[in-house]
Amino acid sequence: MVNVMKGVLVECDPAMKQFLLHLDEKLALGRKFIIQDLDESHLFISTDIVETLQARVDELMDRISFPLHEKEA
Amino acid sequence: MTDYKASSSSSKHGSVSSSMPSSLLVAKPANLQCKDFQEYLRTRSPDTLEKLYNYPTICLAVYRELPEIARQFVIRILFVEQPVPQAVVASWGSQYYAKEQASSTNILTELNVWRTTTIPGGLSAWELCPTFKKNLKIALLGGGKPWSMSHTLEKDSKPRDIAFLDQYAMSRWRCVLHYMVGTGGANKGQGSEVISPDAVRILLHANLMKRDETGITITRQGFQFLLLDTQSQVWHFMLMYLDTCEERGLSLPECLSMLFQLSFSTLGRDYSSEGMNPKMLAFLQHLREFGLVFQRKRKEGRFYPTRLALNVTNKAATVPAVVLEDEKSQESGYIVVETNYRVYAYTDSPLQVAVLGLFTELLYRFPNLVVGVLTRDSVRQALRGGITADQIISYLEQYSHPNMKLTESAIKSKSPLPPTVVDQIKLWELERNRFTYTEGVVYNQFLSQADFITLRDYAQSINVLVWQNERTRTMVVTKNGHDDVKRFWKKFSKNAS
Repeated sequence: MVNVMKGVLVECDPAMKQFLLHLDEKLALGRKFIIQDLDESHLFISTDIVETLQARVDELMDRISFPLHEKEA
Repeated sequence: MTDYKASSSSSKHGSVSSSMPSSLLVAKPANLQCKDFQEYLRTRSPDTLEKLYNYPTICLAVYRELPEIARQFVIRILFVEQPVPQAVVASWGSQYYAKEQASSTNILTELNVWRTTTIPGGLSAWELCPTFKKNLKIALLGGGKPWSMSHTLEKDSKPRDIAFLDQYAMSRWRCVLHYMVGTGGANKGQGSEVISPDAVRILLHANLMKRDETGITITRQGFQFLLLDTQSQVWHFMLMYLDTCEERGLSLPECLSMLFQLSFSTLGRDYSSEGMNPKMLAFLQHLREFGLVFQRKRKEGRFYPTRLALNVTNKAATVPAVVLEDEKSQESGYIVVETNYRVYAYTDSPLQVAVLGLFTELLYRFPNLVVGVLTRDSVRQALRGGITADQIISYLEQYSHPNMKLTESAIKSKSPLPPTVVDQIKLWELERNRFTYTEGVVYNQFLSQADFITLRDYAQSINVLVWQNERTRTMVVTKNGHDDVKRFWKKFSKNAS
């Protein structure tokens, strides 16, 4: 017998994968969304979460970026 | 953030529609595709090509654009009045360049320049298409019908020199660009005219602009178009024009042939439009609007081709780029980028300011100087608008101030821009692509290794396998491939039991 599940394959660097695992574990998006942990740079997640996830990651990137220039105004 | 939402909702739409070619979840928006002449021809039907080859000028243009080996082949069999065995043609080059030869052979076949025939004895042979053969001979040796544009007989009482023509061509072309960034209308007083409805229709057709509630606005392809150099812009624009020319009752072969006649003409010389049919005169008026030819009055039977027309086939080496000597400093280099991400642009052209504003945050504006700064936000905004990091960098490089090229880092690294800035722009782009999403189906919990390997090899053979791990017996196939794999699995497990 074979088990078949639909979803989305995510390919990313190991650091970002850890971030996703963290979100999954802490139920930060309201529920678990990782279907299967494939290897250190691949995850299989449910399709309907992708949008929320993208917004969340964008938010993270905004938070960890530092303005490089001083605006004198 | 609102921008982001808009883009993500469109990607959702993309994933829902089943007609997506590859099951990409995040639909990649179409980018500007710039075809060169050969790619353009390759997408035409054989019938159209046959019609085009009725014009010696087009044959000559096609011949000039061929790779060197292909040109060699054509010229060697041009005067051979019988098919030449393929083995003979293949023996003309050394084995070392077999790859180049094969690609040349392909191009000639794809462009319908030659075709395969069989000669007595069963050998396959190459034969030039008769129409192409006849008309290339005419182009090389003369003869045939006279050109529709001829030299004027009497001398122009007020001849125009090259400098004037260059200036005229650029001012006309800038009109089109100004219109695109929406500064054309605002500066009517400065002599920039509004472009004709026909030109607007071409921009709309080319997807460079789109119509929405607020009127006509520029698209992401349009932004990318603005960052191209003038020559590529004109070529792309003319291709789009040719796409629509049938609609306005002009024949494509005639227009293309005329375009190439212009590109083979001499800069600074006047030609007569006498003997042109009304359709070609209409075409000439359009070319005049875009600055490809200069004509004093609509009805005057005399016109000058400009550098824009001479450059039209998109081959860099033929004629030097459209740059005026006195305007050179402004045209070729006016941007200074500092290591602190500040951008100084010595310009008073609203067009250049508008283009710069696409990816920089403008801080101050002086009569002849604009100061801006490249920030993460401003660059991300541009990236969201569909501009790539490479396009931004190449634009800044292309127009960097001559003094930028004298800095120590520029001499070492070829690029006049500070390496930190270049790297950072690329990093900002990469940051957006930390994830790649592929919609698919995961298969796991196989009972035996043999089952897994069979199914995996099948998925691989039909090119739908995205990821697999033999140890955990897990594999992921694309969404489109799932049905095939499922069918195969059912059949396979039935046979096995």
